[in-house]
Amino acid sequence: MNISQEVLRVVDEVLSLNGRSATFTRDTPLLGAIPELDSMAVVTLITTLEEQFGLVVDDDDIDGSTFATVGSLTDFVSSKLAT
Amino acid sequence: MQPEAFFLPALAAQTSQSDQRFCLFYPADCAASGGAARGLVLYIHPFAEEMNKARHMAALQARALARAGYAVLQMDLLGCGDSSGDFGDASWQSWVSDVLQGCHWLRKQSNTPGADSAQLPLWLWGLRAGCLLAVEAARQLGAPCNFLFWQPPAAGRPLLQQFLRLKVAGDLLGGQAKGVMESMRQHLANGSPVEIAGYLLSPGLASGLEQAALAPPAGPGPTQRLEWFELSTREDAGLSPISTKTITQWQQAGYRVGSHIVHGPAFWQTTEIEDAPALITATTAAVNND
Repeated sequence: MNISQEVLRVVDEVLSLNGRSATFTRDTPLLGAIPELDSMAVVTLITTLEEQFGLVVDDDDIDGSTFATVGSLTDFVSSKLAT
Repeated sequence: MQPEAFFLPALAAQTSQSDQRFCLFYPADCAASGGAARGLVLYIHPFAEEMNKARHMAALQARALARAGYAVLQMDLLGCGDSSGDFGDASWQSWVSDVLQGCHWLRKQSNTPGADSAQLPLWLWGLRAGCLLAVEAARQLGAPCNFLFWQPPAAGRPLLQQFLRLKVAGDLLGGQAKGVMESMRQHLANGSPVEIAGYLLSPGLASGLEQAALAPPAGPGPTQRLEWFELSTREDAGLSPISTKTITQWQQAGYRVGSHIVHGPAFWQTTEIEDAPALITATTAAVNND
């Protein structure tokens, strides 16, 4: 499984980006840079990642840096899958 | 076809400030079904913001079912939408009572053509948390009904967790989220409400949702049905292990179960208001397929 690609697919779908994520790289900023990423969208992202990857997010694990960039979010998912 | 909008007076046992429920009624169009209505359908909306996101799809589906010969009632529960009361006034049982009242109204209302409207099948159509309310209401109704579930959760607990998480996410956007979840849980355990994304969540509603489970009501009649729908935008989607397990429980309890995975967005939570036309078509076909 290409985790980065799967994460981007989820981001695109949840935020209704209609394919805009195709230009995203690891360094693309998310939180504060994408207007669609409000608190409800953050929750939907976490929930969808849980469902699609079969992982459980402990809410006190989450902080702003998790959603800073495409790379930080991918690394977060990878670390959850590794445990 | 325009639905009829009206306020349904709530049960006398409830407080005077919370005495009206906003309803939309879609009369059955019987031209297609030979003059008689085919059934009654009560829509039970999902939790908090999901209800608003799903309103458009609910209206589209209600119209489609009405065209297929079903009388459909869409009701805003206490403290939701255009009904009276505040969200913070709602308890799980008050919502179950609203659903029961919707069932009784559908059975009693006189403008559903049919040889004997008491014999028409009653469908409880839930979306997300609405499925959990449907099951509890059916348990208290004491009369047979069919179930139509859209994206049903196997239990209420993950839904509560997702809702509480909105607060964590809000504080995360503001800077600091650590310990927010634990502090909210503590508040609720102490009997105090918590405010999340503009909704005041009462301890009674939180505990009702947390304990809700999608277990089949006991003793169904021989012909009771469950139509189970999930949406996915993946080509290779299948039912999750927990859905498969829950469906098996319903089959073992004697229900005739149809399960369907339909292509479409998670319209109750997407950022933009989105439609899932394939879900409407498949749902109408499944309900109509006696």
